[in-house]
Amino acid sequence: MKDYVYPSIFFAYFFFLILLIGAIFFFFRSFKDGYWGAEGEDVKYRMLEDDGDGQMSRAATSARGESSNKKDEAALKR
Amino acid sequence: MQGEASIRSAGEIPVSSAARANESLHEDTTAKLFLISSISYFFIVGIIAVLIAAKFVWPQLLGTIPFLTYGRLRPLHVNGMLFGWLLAADMGLMYYVIPRLCGVRLWSEKLGVATAALWNVIILGAVVSLLMGWNQGLEYAELPLPLDVMVVVAWIMFGANIFATVATRKYTQMYVTIWYCLGTILWTAFVYLTGNFAVLFTTGVNQANLNWMYVHNAVGLIFTPVGLAIAYYFIPKSSNTPLFSHKLSMIGFWSLAFVYVWTGAHHMLHGPISQWLQTIAIVFSLMLLIPVWAVVYNFFATMKGQWDQLRDNVQLKFLMTGVIFYLLTCFQGPMHSLRTVNAIVSKTDWIPGHAHMAVLGAFSFFAIAGCYFVVPRIFKTNLFSESLANWSFWLLLIGGVGFFVTLWLGGFWQGWQWNNPAIPFIDTVINLKPVWSVRFFSGILMFGGIVTFAYNILATMVGSKGQSEKSLPV
Repeated sequence: MKDYVYPSIFFAYFFFLILLIGAIFFFFRSFKDGYWGAEGEDVKYRMLEDDGDGQMSRAATSARGESSNKKDEAALKR
Repeated sequence: MQGEASIRSAGEIPVSSAARANESLHEDTTAKLFLISSISYFFIVGIIAVLIAAKFVWPQLLGTIPFLTYGRLRPLHVNGMLFGWLLAADMGLMYYVIPRLCGVRLWSEKLGVATAALWNVIILGAVVSLLMGWNQGLEYAELPLPLDVMVVVAWIMFGANIFATVATRKYTQMYVTIWYCLGTILWTAFVYLTGNFAVLFTTGVNQANLNWMYVHNAVGLIFTPVGLAIAYYFIPKSSNTPLFSHKLSMIGFWSLAFVYVWTGAHHMLHGPISQWLQTIAIVFSLMLLIPVWAVVYNFFATMKGQWDQLRDNVQLKFLMTGVIFYLLTCFQGPMHSLRTVNAIVSKTDWIPGHAHMAVLGAFSFFAIAGCYFVVPRIFKTNLFSESLANWSFWLLLIGGVGFFVTLWLGGFWQGWQWNNPAIPFIDTVINLKPVWSVRFFSGILMFGGIVTFAYNILATMVGSKGQSEKSLPV
């Protein structure tokens, strides 16, 4: 009987390697996409409005400021 | 029971016409199907859970009828709770959350409905096959090969739908919930294929090692990220308060991504695997404290000044209790990986106590909160009963704490007895009967919580037919 132990373990680690490479790529990509920059916090305010079924609390609105609304509008792809 | 005043959702806010228009963007048929089926399985598999807990106290219960023996009911309980209830509920919640965070419709509602149908076929197939004893004999990977293949197909359908929805999103930056959801889809592919297919070609120690990598990563790279995705969405939404720090949530996400996969071998400490592999598992298990700190601090800081909302917001009660259970279970995990602690608790009742606190105490509490938030909205009605929701919370909390604490203490006691060669093994079994009795009665309380939750949600769905849109809760 052929021994498949090592091929299957190599398969598992190869699969893991693919994911590791993907994780490293998207980690560095997240810097380029601005998640760690000055505007990295805007998305947490927008999610409160995204489905339109909530109104932001006063604290949230004042913390965000008016300028962020304009940034979000600019960020819209379409 | 359904008076307007008494059933008002906490933090209720008038709904604008713009909000209604935006709501009509989403069909939510897939989310409805997944939530209805998952909550039904939660109830049905809950009965199995009570039965097997009773068998610890009364081993002769149900006699020797093959499909009612512990060996067949236990895998059905594990797989039913993991894939029938929790993962299906999480998928239903993702079908609700992702389109809203992306500001677009779900890419294909038809594909979503087909996925829900296939998922139900898989779960029903699992019930039949596991009761018949068709079992691969591997922890968490008991399903027969044809059902494994169907799971992979269903997961590809789910992943394609979510990825395509995210690809068409309105906004460039993705909220952390989307990151965790996409991570879950990719990691599940890796974990499931490894744990259910690659493992079949291995033998002996290598098979055990690969199996435990799968078991631990099933919790850490499937249920943890999708559970956190839900918590990151519903804690800000339920409290109407922005997340404390999105950058901190990113630190939590990336540290989880790089650390978690190496920890599974800590279940094999003192076993016949390489010492270097054991040490790596210990080191990475301790490093798990980084993502855990990032997540828990973020949630507690988000709730700063908002704790009073817990008085009358049942979703927040579930969510924040789930966060505390998450903190506790993620402190237990690294401690369990230490060689000295592991020598006592490994293979004892401490392990199911730990696993139940993760899967039930943390991630099921998040999913239940999500159901209480989502179901009234997608069925455009009010929750059937706020007081019943509170009953479900307290029953699950009291039963859960009784269950977890009993098994940790009982597990330690069991481990100490096992480490004493003067005590015959059968005596350790007899000694633990009081522990298992408390476990059973705690299980009854938890099942009461499941029944009230399931009844409340299903009554909300059924009652929605007569509701007008004026009563749409927020």
